[in-house]
Amino acid sequence: MRIIRYNQPVTRGYARANCGDNRSPWAGFESEIDRLFTSAGGNVAGSKATQFPVDLYEDKDNATVRAELPGIKRDDIQVELVDGHLNINATRKTKTGDDEKSSSFSRSIRVPDTVQSDKVAAAYEDGVLTVTLPKREESKPRKINVAVK
Amino acid sequence: MSLLNPTIPSRQSATTSSACSVATRKPIYQVSESDEAYRLTVILPGVAKDGLKITADADELRIAGTHAWKQPEGWTSLHRETIAANYALVLKHDNALNGDKITAELREGVLHVTLPKAEAIKPRKITVV
Repeated sequence: MRIIRYNQPVTRGYARANCGDNRSPWAGFESEIDRLFTSAGGNVAGSKATQFPVDLYEDKDNATVRAELPGIKRDDIQVELVDGHLNINATRKTKTGDDEKSSSFSRSIRVPDTVQSDKVAAAYEDGVLTVTLPKREESKPRKINVAVK
Repeated sequence: MSLLNPTIPSRQSATTSSACSVATRKPIYQVSESDEAYRLTVILPGVAKDGLKITADADELRIAGTHAWKQPEGWTSLHRETIAANYALVLKHDNALNGDKITAELREGVLHVTLPKAEAIKPRKITVV
């Protein structure tokens, strides 16, 4: 097999081909500019290739980290909480014909010490790694009643 | 038809499908070819099997993927790097595929599609008399 086409998602997107005339031509313009800047340096397979997009959320009980890591086997993902940092390491092995390529991804996220480090859980589904970091009881927001005397 | 300049799109009520009102983006994909078939690999993180739709026509192959996860109520996003748009990919070909024999597999957010070539376009030897 030989590769006849490889496509980087540089300036495409916000497909005009799919939508009818009811979308304003300016819709998605800002995100197009963002994509242009983020992918401008990303054409070279090198330093940029080890990063992956990460979302951080929080609610009153947990902080959640969602990382997009498609195409990786569960055993090749390591998640560690060391010294207030959440380290995510992953290796993607691809077999194309006879050769096997291996690329590794790594990201370290600062985590505040309000996290219960022994109750951290991680799940990997559909190419997305979700790490749930429960907050310590004393750092959960609580209502304090003000007594009026 | 509007009497105004036709290059300005007019805001008419949607007669096309309502799925068009959500912004979509093109996923990363790769096509490789052998004598018998094309192999398409599309990276669709966050898309589950029921959010994936593949349609093949005589002239185009369409792949649409919707994210399975929605941000729950009460969650505040502190930092976002992913893009919430769903995925849409349209690949045009000229009757090059055998539509009945297309197989697809979605594993860990990566879609592998095997598209057998139509008999008419497979390479063939021609003997010289």
